[in-house]
Amino acid sequence: MKTVRNSVYAILLLFSMFSYGQRDSITVLDEVILTDVRLLHFSEGKVDVLQDSVLERNGASLTDLLQFNSGIYLKENGLGMVSSPSFRGTNASQTAVVWNGININSQLTGQVDFNTIVPRNYGNVKVRRGGGSVQFGSGAIGGSVHLQDVLRFDSARKHELELGYGSFDTKTFDYSTSGGSEKLTLGFGVNYRASENDYTYLGTDLKNENGAFENINFNGNLGYKITEKQLLKFYHNTFIGDRDFSGTITAPSQSNYKDYNSRNLLEWNHFKENRVQRLKLGYLYERYKYFENKERDDFSFGQTSTFLTNYDYKIHFKKVVVNTIADYSHIAAEGSSIENAKRNTLAATFLLKHQLADKLAYSINLRKEFVNDYRSPFVYALNLEYATAPKHTFYLSGSKNYRIPTFNEIYWMLGGGSGGNSDIRPESSFQGEIGHLFQLKKLMFKCSAYYIASDDLIQWRPNNSGIWSPININETSNYGFETSLEFSEYWGAHHVKWLSGYGYTKAINKTTDEILMYVPKHKITSNLGYEYGSWQLFYQLFFNGSVFTTSDNSDSLSGYSVSNLGLSKSFRIQRKLAIEAKFQINNLYNKNYQNVAFRPMPGRNMQLKLKLNI
Amino acid sequence: MKINKVSILIVLSALFITSCSDDDNSPALPDGAEEPEAAYENGMLIVNEGPFNNGTGTVTFISEDNSVIEETIFKKENNEDLGNIVQSMAFDDDLAYIVVNNSHKIHVVNRYTFKSIAVIEEDLMNPRYMTVSNGKGYVTNWGDTADESDDYIAIIDLEANAVIGAIPVELGPEAITSNSEFVYVAHQGAYGQNNIVSVIDPSNDEVLDTIEVGDLPNSMQWDASGNLWVLSGGAPSYAAEETNGALVEIDATTNEVSRTFDFSTVQHPGGLNIDGDELYFGMDGGVYLFSVNATELPAEPYIENASFYSMTVNDGKLYGTDAKDFASKGDLIIYDLSSKEKTNTIPVGIIPRGVYFN
Repeated sequence: MKTVRNSVYAILLLFSMFSYGQRDSITVLDEVILTDVRLLHFSEGKVDVLQDSVLERNGASLTDLLQFNSGIYLKENGLGMVSSPSFRGTNASQTAVVWNGININSQLTGQVDFNTIVPRNYGNVKVRRGGGSVQFGSGAIGGSVHLQDVLRFDSARKHELELGYGSFDTKTFDYSTSGGSEKLTLGFGVNYRASENDYTYLGTDLKNENGAFENINFNGNLGYKITEKQLLKFYHNTFIGDRDFSGTITAPSQSNYKDYNSRNLLEWNHFKENRVQRLKLGYLYERYKYFENKERDDFSFGQTSTFLTNYDYKIHFKKVVVNTIADYSHIAAEGSSIENAKRNTLAATFLLKHQLADKLAYSINLRKEFVNDYRSPFVYALNLEYATAPKHTFYLSGSKNYRIPTFNEIYWMLGGGSGGNSDIRPESSFQGEIGHLFQLKKLMFKCSAYYIASDDLIQWRPNNSGIWSPININETSNYGFETSLEFSEYWGAHHVKWLSGYGYTKAINKTTDEILMYVPKHKITSNLGYEYGSWQLFYQLFFNGSVFTTSDNSDSLSGYSVSNLGLSKSFRIQRKLAIEAKFQINNLYNKNYQNVAFRPMPGRNMQLKLKLNI
Repeated sequence: MKINKVSILIVLSALFITSCSDDDNSPALPDGAEEPEAAYENGMLIVNEGPFNNGTGTVTFISEDNSVIEETIFKKENNEDLGNIVQSMAFDDDLAYIVVNNSHKIHVVNRYTFKSIAVIEEDLMNPRYMTVSNGKGYVTNWGDTADESDDYIAIIDLEANAVIGAIPVELGPEAITSNSEFVYVAHQGAYGQNNIVSVIDPSNDEVLDTIEVGDLPNSMQWDASGNLWVLSGGAPSYAAEETNGALVEIDATTNEVSRTFDFSTVQHPGGLNIDGDELYFGMDGGVYLFSVNATELPAEPYIENASFYSMTVNDGKLYGTDAKDFASKGDLIIYDLSSKEKTNTIPVGIIPRGVYFN
C-alpha cells in the first residue's frame, strides 16, 4: 500500500512539472491582495463570506461574529471568558482558525479561544464549512474560519477611529488605517476593549463577580512590489489578554488569566507566465499564565514557539490548476507541566483542479505529514462541482481529515493526578457532503447536507491507576444540514438586506448511542439591515436549541434566542471627514440564558459608539 | 480527589464541560403512599459531587429496600442548589451537615426532611470533612490551595451555626473523626503530600499531638476495642518518589502507633471500612479483607474485579460507587459481603462520592 502511495505522489509531482498554458490575470490579482488563495481555488461552494458591514457590527470578537452570522455553535464561560466552537457538532479542537493561510490553533489545547481573536481589522473573514485538513491542517474537521489581511495597493489612505462606551463600564477603542501606492502598501489596526463585566445574573441577586477583562489587539500588514513579478508581503498580529475568570452560580472564583499571542508571516511571491511560486516564513508564539488566586504570585503557565517555512508552487494550464506545497515546521513547548517538548513536521501537499467540461470540474487534494512524535495519517479530499453559470452550483465532496494530538495530550507531566499519553493517536474523521448554491441578482440560497464519521476521539479520563490521562476512546457520527438565504433589494434611497441561516445537527456517540454534550440540534441566525440615506437600522438574532450537559443525556440546558438592535446615523462634516454615531442594544428582550450551564450571560445592555472616517 | 492540575486543563479548554440543569424528573413515591413527614428516613443518602468545573452536587435518597429512589432531594426541598463539589456529610442528632468544597460552605439540614436550617458560609476555605465532638463541629479546611501553610480546622458553634475559631494544622487535613476524648485528623496532604494524624483536644481546641503514619493517610475507622485504624495510600507512581501504603493501628489511650502493616511500594490502598472485626479496603481493582486480629496483610482480594470511586461497608453489605466518565450520572453498586455477589445497581447522581445511612 505504501509503495502504491509513494508512486502516486511521484506521478503527481511529475505531472505538476509540466508548464504550459495561459496566464490567468484574475488569479494573479487574488494572489496579490490575498494570501489564503487555496481557499478560493480548492473549496467550491462551501465558503461563506462575512462582509465589512457584519465585521463592523460584530467584529469585537470572533465569538460575537460567528454567534450571529454563522451556523457555528459557540459556548462561552460567561461573557468575554473562554469561548469554544462546535462546528457541525464536532468538538472544540475540530474547528481550525486560519490566519493568512496559516493554521493558528493552539499547540497546547488544539483549540482557539474565540474571545481572543478580533476579526474587525481583517479585510476578509470567511467561514468554510466541512473538512479541509489537506489545505488547512489539523482541526479542519467541522470547518475552518479564515482571517485574511487584504493588501490595498494603489488606494488612497483611509483612517478610521471608533470610540465606544457601554454597559458594565465597557470601553472600546478601535483605530485602523490602510492604503498605499502602486508599489507599497501599509495597513495597521489596533483594538482595545476593557470591561468591568459585572453584570447581574438575571433572576438572582448575584453579580458576575471576578469577570473583568481587558485586551488589546494589533494587526499590521505590508506589501511591497519588488518588481512587476516579485512581491513581498508581511503580516503581523498580536493579542494581549488579561481576564479575571468569572465563577459560576454555585462557586466563586478568584482566578486570572493572561495570554499573549503573536503571529508573524513573511512571504515572497514570484509570478511568471502561468506560474506562481511562493516562499513563506512564519513565527508564531503563544503563552498563557493562569493565576488560580489572583491575589497571589503563584501561577501556572505554558508557551509554544512555532517556526514554519513553506514553499508553494502553483501552475495554471488552460483547464487545470496544480498546486504543490512543501511544509516544514518546528515547534517547541514548555510550561509548568510541560518540559522541553519539541515537534518537527514535514509535509507534502498536492492540490489539483481540473475543469473537465464547461460546467463540470473536479479537484483532488492530498497531504501526507511526517512527524516525530505521533503517526500522522494520509489525508485527502475529492470534490466534484457542477455549475450552470451563473445560477446554480452543485457540489459533492468527500474527505479524510484529522486533528493532531496537542502538546498537553502528549507531554503533560505526570503529577497532581494527571499525565499525558505518549501513545495517543490523532483523531481522524471521514466525511461526505453534498451542496447546492442558487444565485440570482437579489437572492442567494445555499444548502448542504453532510455526514461525518469520527474515530479515535481523544478524551481525558482517569486510567487504571486513577490518573487523568487522554485516550483515543470515542467514536462519533454527525449528520445534518444547513441552509442560508440572502436577500437584498433597493427601492430608491431604501436598501434592505436580509440574511438568515438554519442548521440541523445530530451528533451521536456511537458507543453509547447518546447525543453529544453541548451540541444543539437547531441553530438559527437572522440579520435584517435597513438603510435609508444616512440612517441605518439593524436587527439580528440567533437561536440555540437545547443542549445536553451530561454524556448520558440525563441533564440539559434549555434553548434560547438572543436579539440585538442597532441604529446609526452618519454625518459628513467635510469632504473628507465623516462621523457616524451608533447605538446598539444587546439582548433586547432581556433574555435570561446560560450558554454553559451555571454560567449566566448578561441581560439587556447597551453600547454607544462614535466613528470617524478620514 | 486531586484535581488541581486537571482543573487547569479544564479551565484552559472545554475538555469536559458538564453540568446538570434544573430538571427535576425523579420518580414520585408509589401510588397511594402518603408522603411521611420524615421523607428520607430509613434509607441511604448518596452524596454526589456534581461536575467539577461548573454545576452543583446533589444528594440522592434510596430507601432501605431500594424501592424508592429520589434524586436531588436538597433542591427539591429547598429550591436551591447545594453548590459545587459536594464533598461529604456529617451528622449530629437530627441534623446533617453537607460540606461543599468549591463553594466553601456547609448546608445544615434536618437529616430526615432535608429542609434547610442554616448555611455556614463565613470563614470556610475549601472545607473537606466534618466531625462533631464536645458539642462542637470540627471541619478540615485546605485553605488557599496554593498556600501550604494556611490549612486549618474550623470550629463550628452548632447552636449558632457559625465558625467560631480556627485551629492551624499542618498541610492537607482530610478525613476527620473523634472519640469521646479527642479529634483525629488524617493529613493526606491536599495537592502535596503528608504522613501524619493530628490529635486535637476539643476541651481547649489545641493540637495535642501529631502521630506519624504512612504516606498520604486517606481513611480512618474505629474498631470495637476503641483503637483507631488509619489507612495510608502511599505516594503514587507519578510522585517524585513512589512509596508504599500502610495500615496503622493507633492506641487511642496513649495516642501511639501500636501496630503497622506495610504494603509493597506499588500498592496504594484506599477506602478503609469496618464491619464488626473485619476491615475492608480497596486496592488494585479488588476489595480486600483484614481481620483486626490478623498478623499480616491479605495477599489475595476478598472480591475480585471490584473497583470503585468510593466504597462504604455497612451491615454485611458493600456499597461501591462508579463515577463512569465523570460527565454522566454514576451508579451505586451493592454487594452482599457474605456471598460476594453483586445484588443491585442503582443509578445516582454525577460523581457519587459517599454513602451515608439514615
